[in-house]
Amino acid sequence: MALAADTAADELRWVRKAQAADPFAFEKLYRANVDRVYGLCLRMTGNRSEAEDCTQDAFIQAWNKLDKFRGDSAFGTWLHRVAVNVVLGRMRKSRREQDRIRAVSDVAPVRETIADDGELRDLEHAINELPSGARHVFVLHAVYGYSHGETGDMLGIAEGTSKAQLSRARRLLVQQLEAEMK
Amino acid sequence: MNGNDDKTFDDELMARAAQLSAPVTPERDLWPEIEQVISAPLQPGRSVWNRVWAQAAAVILLVGGSSGLTYMTMSGSEDATLPIAAEAPAFVFEQASANFGSRYTLGPDFQDARRGLAAGLDDRLGNLSPEAREEVMQNLETIRKAIDDISNALTEEPDNVLLQELLIETYRDELSMMIKVDGITRAAMRRGDI
Repeated sequence: MALAADTAADELRWVRKAQAADPFAFEKLYRANVDRVYGLCLRMTGNRSEAEDCTQDAFIQAWNKLDKFRGDSAFGTWLHRVAVNVVLGRMRKSRREQDRIRAVSDVAPVRETIADDGELRDLEHAINELPSGARHVFVLHAVYGYSHGETGDMLGIAEGTSKAQLSRARRLLVQQLEAEMK
Repeated sequence: MNGNDDKTFDDELMARAAQLSAPVTPERDLWPEIEQVISAPLQPGRSVWNRVWAQAAAVILLVGGSSGLTYMTMSGSEDATLPIAAEAPAFVFEQASANFGSRYTLGPDFQDARRGLAAGLDDRLGNLSPEAREEVMQNLETIRKAIDDISNALTEEPDNVLLQELLIETYRDELSMMIKVDGITRAAMRRGDI
């Protein structure tokens, strides 16, 4: 049974308890938010196993940084930001690792899709094929609805860069989807 | 495809993308492992040490990998002759009853250098790229967390020479990191001035 937080007030109450080092309260927050965090991680990484690791890291980091959450935004939004940072941090580390691995192996990472609907699955597949910079901007802006300012802030890039990456992502997606239709 | 078709296709693309934001349930319960980490009880003489060693290992790893920061910041530079950073001042240890264990304190030269570098750190970080800045801040956070953990362990075992040496090394790593940032930003400014 999901221990969902029913209202924003409930959620804030669980946050305050968790800030007082109550793991039970933090589990409530986890149950209420894990699917959103995991979905974000999965779409940013395109890999279930990596998304599971990122999700766990995100919640562990959230626990360690709970005292920094002041309630200026919804807890879920704050958690999203923590998750984005975790994904980017892990990708930076793994990029260095992959550079070494590529020297001996040229295996492409397995990309996984989530959607049941055929068209959405095609789109997910096409998103997974995007270069990481364009993919991250597309996922945060077009999928999750963050503004370019928020997207840039989360990814550590300028707002203009976010717009440019979105434009690039759209162009590449249109090309890919058109090619698949032929 | 004409312009109208392009726009329609693009609008459909964005509309479909918004449908992808649905939550996704992980195939397995991720909570038990999270709970294990966040609920790990601190057992005297064991967990504190585990945590200290884990922090020390993290510092060693990041200091070992910090050449990535230099590469990231200096890549594109043609000038390989510029000095990256000055040498860290030598450590001087004095008998004292300060908070550095119970017997030692940091030497005055070291403390001056640390204070000076820390004071201007924010300005220097502002000269780095966002990616490099984030990496530096994360690295410094890891180092400072290690310093806190080792200091806490030292309050329980003030005479532990191994812990004292570990703390010295970690302070040295922090100073090296700040000196490296200082050197990189100075070099970058000189390049920009030419």
